[in-house]
Amino acid sequence: MTVATVTPTTAPTGAGAPAPVRETRSDRIVMICNYTALGLFTLAVLYPLVYVLSASLSDPKNVVSGKVWLWPVGLSVEAFKAVFDYDSIVSGFGNSVVYALGGALLATALTLLAAYPLSRKGLPGKGIIMALFVFTMMFSGGLIPTYLVVDRLGLLNTRWAIILPGALAVWNMIITRTFFQSTIPEELVEAAKVDGCTDFGFFWRIVLPLSKPIIAVNLLFYAVAQWNSWFSALIYLTNEHLFPLQLVLRQILIQNNFDPSQVRDTAELIRMKELQEQLKFSLIVIATIPPLLIYPFVQKHFVKGAMVGSLKG
Amino acid sequence: MREDLSTTPVKRRAVVAGALGIAAVGSSGLLSGCSSGEAAAGAAPESLSAPPTELGRKKTGINYPPGYVGPVARERRAIVTEPVTFTVVVPQSLTVGDWSKNEFTHWMEQQTGIRIQWRQVAGKGNDAETMTKVNAMMAAGDIPDAFLGIGFTRSQLYLYGAQNLFVDLNPYLDKYAPNLQQAMQDYPEARRLMVSPDKGIYSFPDINDCYHCRASNGRALLNSDWVRKVGLGMPTTTDEFREVLTAFKKADPAGGGKTIPFGGYKDAPLDTYFMNAFLYNPGEPWLVVDDGKVGVTYVKDEWREALKYLHGLYADGLLAKDIFTANEDQIKRYGDNPSGPILGGARVYYWGTLMTLDLVDPKARWRQYQTMEPLKGPGGVQVAPWNYLGVGLEVSTLVVTRKCRRPDLLVRWADFQLDLEVVLRSYAGPDIRWSAKGDKGINGKQSIYGYDSWNTDATKGKTWDQFGVMYRSGDFRLAERVNPKRPTFESPLYEQTRDHLFPFRQPMEQQFPPVTLEADQAAQDAEIGLNLKGEVTTSLAKFVTGKLDPSDDGQWNDYKDRINRIGLQPYLEIQQAAYETYQG
Repeated sequence: MTVATVTPTTAPTGAGAPAPVRETRSDRIVMICNYTALGLFTLAVLYPLVYVLSASLSDPKNVVSGKVWLWPVGLSVEAFKAVFDYDSIVSGFGNSVVYALGGALLATALTLLAAYPLSRKGLPGKGIIMALFVFTMMFSGGLIPTYLVVDRLGLLNTRWAIILPGALAVWNMIITRTFFQSTIPEELVEAAKVDGCTDFGFFWRIVLPLSKPIIAVNLLFYAVAQWNSWFSALIYLTNEHLFPLQLVLRQILIQNNFDPSQVRDTAELIRMKELQEQLKFSLIVIATIPPLLIYPFVQKHFVKGAMVGSLKG
Repeated sequence: MREDLSTTPVKRRAVVAGALGIAAVGSSGLLSGCSSGEAAAGAAPESLSAPPTELGRKKTGINYPPGYVGPVARERRAIVTEPVTFTVVVPQSLTVGDWSKNEFTHWMEQQTGIRIQWRQVAGKGNDAETMTKVNAMMAAGDIPDAFLGIGFTRSQLYLYGAQNLFVDLNPYLDKYAPNLQQAMQDYPEARRLMVSPDKGIYSFPDINDCYHCRASNGRALLNSDWVRKVGLGMPTTTDEFREVLTAFKKADPAGGGKTIPFGGYKDAPLDTYFMNAFLYNPGEPWLVVDDGKVGVTYVKDEWREALKYLHGLYADGLLAKDIFTANEDQIKRYGDNPSGPILGGARVYYWGTLMTLDLVDPKARWRQYQTMEPLKGPGGVQVAPWNYLGVGLEVSTLVVTRKCRRPDLLVRWADFQLDLEVVLRSYAGPDIRWSAKGDKGINGKQSIYGYDSWNTDATKGKTWDQFGVMYRSGDFRLAERVNPKRPTFESPLYEQTRDHLFPFRQPMEQQFPPVTLEADQAAQDAEIGLNLKGEVTTSLAKFVTGKLDPSDDGQWNDYKDRINRIGLQPYLEIQQAAYETYQG
């Protein structure tokens, strides 16, 4: 935002342009420092992205030999073709979409349902409920007890094992609650009640339409978290058809980490290396595309929602 | 879905207590020995009543080299007539693909009658994450009939075996594994490497006798063209080696001062090559056996002499500046340098780590680099550390659990895979061709088999990617046909290992064997071992690069003090006890 408001003043004052307020010397220095710092920052963030994209589009040989440093060398889309030869990658992509969408919808619904009542003054036992929520932020049952619970609930090796345990993030719930507290005043509830609106009716007709930013934020948070996660899939799934993309990606990345003195078959080592070099970057690109696609659409809500929620807490 | 045969309800509470409560190991002495000669805890009584399996007749038409020791192709029969299903946990693999749709899976099912219901675990089978998952399964009592290709350590096998979670295969191996019995005769050390301190054998092993792997720690390469160019011979002593490197530096064959006399990278330790001019040093964890007493190399005076030597080389600029920090990509960039070779030599495991291999061109750059003989130090020591025990036999390839009602069938299923033909199908796929008489193998003798391509695209979904149970003897591995039009690096790798390293190997008694530890010792071993490793490797780098001075008595003693403070003494006691148990 700073950048946008500042730009006109630094533009060279050509003929016909409205005379700007004259900049002082120190203004200029601040501006230059600002731009340099921001520019470097942008480069630092942008470079790895460009590099990965270029590497994925280059001949793997050139990547290994270090010829690729900014633009693709020896343009080739082989790597992307190769990706689709692997069933587990294709099914992994599909699974990840399901987990991200399903997880985000369910988790957002749960978050809203938990946050709204907790944002209202009249809820009996509110302190205790809140304390219980916060408790889970600091303590958890541990890996094996959780595994046992998931097993006994019959979730093991089902898609639910990825979506249900830990569906609600208390952190998001607190942000959402704060959002409700600050944007839905108690008076509004009272007014609705006077008009004969029930609690559910109020939540459905008034609260939800007023909370689009926070809903968007929740959806995005949950979807991205789900998209990036692999640990619960590792622990709860033993059916390859259910593995998310990240798990497959990880598989490719670690497959080459041999103890070199223990490699029984050098031919195998070379094979693995080639595979990894070929697939690594294209897979990273593929795994990054979906979040990149959603971001622009949610971004405006994102800033607004998260800020409102956190600032006035 | 699963047959009744393969499922036995395991008392979950007992399992949880067993897996979580390490204390249970204390009672291992009581549990041991009860199972030899009788069926395992969860097994059906009929699992030991079937008559022993006999070896089939040898198939004809296969050309074995004279004196061949290894797997042979025999007539095979189905194991069961009525299909039986087992649940087996395996690692996920991109090469195998979907285990249930894999071509070798279908073939095995058809040939043996045994159906497998696969459960795939993400990871590569022996990494921390796979083990996290597997341990969670064990603790929760969510146990399959068997694990295939999951890397339990010897200590873990012993831990779970002593709790009767894993089946002691002793009686089954005696009766139903004739191929393995044969292999164990071929490799007399095999039984000792398989057996736990309580005499139980808790896994079906994989035998893969990789000749050049046994010498990988002592391998270093030197550019023989350059050696000729500077008018010297391949060095055999520490002094000659220094002379060669100095000549490289002076002559600058790469031009423009780009010559790197000797390089390396962080995953190939220097000590396993250079220290062996001063004392036998196998490398991490640096344990050696001297007259039945276990010791470490890195506190000995000879180690210090070696440090002084390396310190001198580094100070003269004969070792690459980044020899301790370069990663594989960096060393490869030096090796692949487009305008010509710039490396005089390097400590690497084989050519492939040094550069991209051109297998077609007989004048390819990698062929200039030759395996060096170990250097002879001032004291006359000249050793190529030979890994007699750590390479060749891997435990934990197939682990049968107490959930399995018929361990005998799984053992027969595993033994079936040791047949020559099955071994080849298991890792190289169905497109193998038997060799004709006169075809040469890697070792120059008659070859048995060959395949035109063994790469991902051709075998994807057709093999078990080395996760299966196999018997690959040294002779078997070297009997792979060499395509004269496209000779690989395998032959030179074999020959140079045979000529330059094998003759300098240390006696087997000096090698510290792979031992099995009790659970609490294993934890201690891991912790102290890790700290020692950190101290030894950082100090090595500091002593060589000049941050510490090996000639300074104070600094050397400080180093030894630090080692002792970390707990060298208790560490050695653990190893000594484990060694004695191994020796029996």
